[in-house]
Amino acid sequence: MGAYLAVFAGGLLGTGLRLGADLLLPHDDTGFPFSTLLVNLVGAFVLGILAGGLWTRPTTPSWLKAGIGAGVLGSFTTLSAVMASLVLIGTDRQWWLAAGYTAASVIGGLVLAAAGLRLGIGRERRRRAAAAAPRTTRSDAAP
Amino acid sequence: MTASLAPWVAAAVLVAGALGAVARFALSRALPVRPGRLPWGILIANVGGSAVAGLVIGLAERAALGDDVRLILVTGFCGGLTTFSTWSVESIELAATGRWRAAALNVGATFAFGLVACAVAYLLAR
Repeated sequence: MGAYLAVFAGGLLGTGLRLGADLLLPHDDTGFPFSTLLVNLVGAFVLGILAGGLWTRPTTPSWLKAGIGAGVLGSFTTLSAVMASLVLIGTDRQWWLAAGYTAASVIGGLVLAAAGLRLGIGRERRRRAAAAAPRTTRSDAAP
Repeated sequence: MTASLAPWVAAAVLVAGALGAVARFALSRALPVRPGRLPWGILIANVGGSAVAGLVIGLAERAALGDDVRLILVTGFCGGLTTFSTWSVESIELAATGRWRAAALNVGATFAFGLVACAVAYLLAR
């Protein structure tokens, strides 16, 4: 139940941020949807960092993962808006625009998710190494 | 996109998005991801949300639905129901564990089914 409440609250925030991006970077139905591309790439990168780091800690409560992952980032990013734009751009016969948007979304999303995961895993590894190092090592290292 | 957005419409978009997120979360819990397999819950949410978005945009185009309702359902509910971040990260995680076929299938099937579902719903509704 707590997880569902966290997802609902996160969903309000994520949808609000996406709506804000749409209002700040408005686009026509058949124009290049920069706002959608931006939120999707940012969201994929941030979720990658979290999935590689915070998510892997046993102390991270499941409601927090649900609230931030499924809630905030899940609703901040959107696939339906990508599909809707592609259908409308395609109906307008702007094939190159549709191809460019598809490539930017799919390749960009996968590359940024991979970069985020890599960054998150690396940071988490260093954090654990630092936490596991004996205290004397650090104080001895001081001049 | 309208220049000014009525506060009740903005609030309705947020609530609809949150309800979409809850529906997606419920789907992903009902169909939990088995290691190395396709995340079916998210795939269904993404394809279903894309179909609803196409349907609503088609109906709005022939003025069967107003702009406010379109915004609440498409930007709100469908935007919340579907997700790009989970799709990207889960595909990369499949590839990173050597499940290249499952990763490629997750990317390709979500995209192909989502696009076809959205296009068919739009063309039938408009």
